[in-house]
Amino acid sequence: MNIIEVENVTKRFGKHKALDCLSLSIAQGRIFGLLGPNGAGKTTLIRLLTCINTADSGSICFLGHPLTSADVSNIGYLPEERGLYKKMKVSEQAIYMARLRGMSKKDATESLQQWFHKLGIESWWDRRVEELSKGMQQKVQFIVTVVHRPDFLIFDEPFSGFDPINAEQLKSEILELKEKGATIILSTHNMASVEEICDDIALINKGQVLINGAVNEVRRTFRENRFHITFSGQPDINELPEWMQLLAQNTDNQTTTLQLQLAEGHQANDLLQHFITHHPILSFGEMLPSMNDIFIRTIQEQNENH
Amino acid sequence: MNKILVIISREFLTRIRKKSFIITTLLMPVIMVVLILLPVYLSNHTDKNCTVYVLDDNNYFINKFHNTAKIKFEYPSGELEGMKQRCVKGECDAVLHILGGTQSHRANLFFYKDPPLSLKNEISEQMNEVIFDRTLQQEFNVDVQHYKAIKENSHSDIQTLQIDEDGLAKEKMVEMNRFVGIICGVLIYFFVFTYANQVMRSVIEEKSNRIIEVIVSSVKPFPFMMGKIVGVALTGLTQFVAQITLIVIILFVAGSVAPQVFADNSTAELLAQNGGGFAGATVATDSNVFTNISAFYTFPFSTLIFCFLFYFIIGYLMYASLFAGVGSATDNETDSQQLVLPISIPLIASLIVIASGISPQHELIRWLSFIPFTSPIAMLYRIPSGVPLWELLLSGGILLLTFLLCVKFAAKIYRIGLLLYGKKVTWRELMRWMKM
Repeated sequence: MNIIEVENVTKRFGKHKALDCLSLSIAQGRIFGLLGPNGAGKTTLIRLLTCINTADSGSICFLGHPLTSADVSNIGYLPEERGLYKKMKVSEQAIYMARLRGMSKKDATESLQQWFHKLGIESWWDRRVEELSKGMQQKVQFIVTVVHRPDFLIFDEPFSGFDPINAEQLKSEILELKEKGATIILSTHNMASVEEICDDIALINKGQVLINGAVNEVRRTFRENRFHITFSGQPDINELPEWMQLLAQNTDNQTTTLQLQLAEGHQANDLLQHFITHHPILSFGEMLPSMNDIFIRTIQEQNENH
Repeated sequence: MNKILVIISREFLTRIRKKSFIITTLLMPVIMVVLILLPVYLSNHTDKNCTVYVLDDNNYFINKFHNTAKIKFEYPSGELEGMKQRCVKGECDAVLHILGGTQSHRANLFFYKDPPLSLKNEISEQMNEVIFDRTLQQEFNVDVQHYKAIKENSHSDIQTLQIDEDGLAKEKMVEMNRFVGIICGVLIYFFVFTYANQVMRSVIEEKSNRIIEVIVSSVKPFPFMMGKIVGVALTGLTQFVAQITLIVIILFVAGSVAPQVFADNSTAELLAQNGGGFAGATVATDSNVFTNISAFYTFPFSTLIFCFLFYFIIGYLMYASLFAGVGSATDNETDSQQLVLPISIPLIASLIVIASGISPQHELIRWLSFIPFTSPIAMLYRIPSGVPLWELLLSGGILLLTFLLCVKFAAKIYRIGLLLYGKKVTWRELMRWMKM
């Protein structure tokens, strides 16, 4: 079942069309990567999903019914531009934000205490926000986003400002939230993390969806007939057949790794047959394009076409 | 609804717990009281008693001066130079040398250390009197004692009465009417500016520390804005009530603990003038402001209080929502000033107009009391002197309507401006947002 159905949504700011008849759906219980260059319309889309703005035309359904502002208590949103009241105590502030999302004071306090304990930051409870470092504030913001146990979470660049250890901790928290049944939108420019934790992606540019689908499928559709092969011994690379183009080579004393581009009409088996007779093969695999490559290629192609 | 209460309570609680709030709340009354009492105290206590040696070449003035509480006149015999020396030695504070012959109205006042400011005036007045008495006696042969008795007993008593269309007259106190009107105007002016500004600063703060996007994803901008405006207003009222209570307590304590310091009648009058009718009345219940009891009772208290609350609250809400709108359109306070100026001019102008002492019945005041941006101050200035009911209703209606329009306008700007960064917005741009 889809938690979000966006259909033909258009949003203008003055003469600028931020979203142009955009449609996409987000399946429940998955991590959805929302990708796109700066100014593509990601933030606009997110602000429509969080009821901050309303669409000029088109419809947005949440759990099967049209999205209304009553649903925001079931949504958690961590914006890219995020901050906290500097003069307030961490706990007071977190309780305030939780209450704005409809929790009772008692419920909010209990839930927050659990989260502070979980992330090992109980000692921050009574400190003022201004005493915390930027990364520490980000942790508090993350907790504030998820404290009301929403079914639908939106993280806009959640990893920015975190050191690798905290980024890893955040990643595992996000995956845990998914396991507990939450649906998550992850908007980021960090393509490595997209490949790592996203199930589905949508690449949007100029207010339109360019690519939409499961991460693995997307990468497979963009396959370029490239393979890597590792074997013992050192082949004479001048003897490679015409249909095999060498992309890269890595040789040490005993083993050789080649990255090869096969011409159209030739397949993995042709490649294996070529080497298997002369060299013992140690490993072999297809090289799928990275999300980074797909991102750059697709956006450049679209920009060239316009 | 529940969320609005959460917002109001946060705005209220974080503000009243601030150190700066507590300090200003406690300090302001002390400063106010000092400002009220200091001149009184100084005028009573710093002018020490002083002795004046009088030397009159014609001997017209010998034994004619009468001593006052502060000034003692003595008539030692001797030369001027000798007296000057005695003055330098500190035997007296000043030497008054009245010239002789036809110059007897002229005098030199010698002093070594600065004499009290009032000394010259006091001497001059007494000399005038002596000259006058002397002239009366010499030129017209009048018995001076008799003349003085007659003068003492001749005084008039004027009551100010306002008549209405039916010719019914009511006793009014013109001075008190203006006084009350100006006090109300000043209160509204300060409250609106102080706290509408706080609303604006708080909006700018939320924008610049980027908390606003998280908040508007949980609450709609409009209730959030209203919650903030109400929260700030409650803070303001708390501060206001606390400060007035403190002022009254301090004045009361000062009046009862040190009656000898502030006891004499002139002090009470001075207090009444300086401290506003209110503070003065607390200390000196028999002060002049309330001597005319019947006028006191015809004063339109219930109308005034009701209207004060109405214009005060609606006026504040109107200006605060405009300030909130302006705050949301900018990301720093410097940029906000040029947007604030056009909306604050009417308020400043109306205060200047009433402070000039213009008649409350003046046509200008009448017009200003209909214009919503000036009516909170102008109408309250008119009310003590009586305003026809229809004009009151019209003015109130216009204000209420404008208030609703302003809130709508501000909410629109607020909604768009909140998430807009790094752009310097002009009024023209704001008008364009209105149409979006």
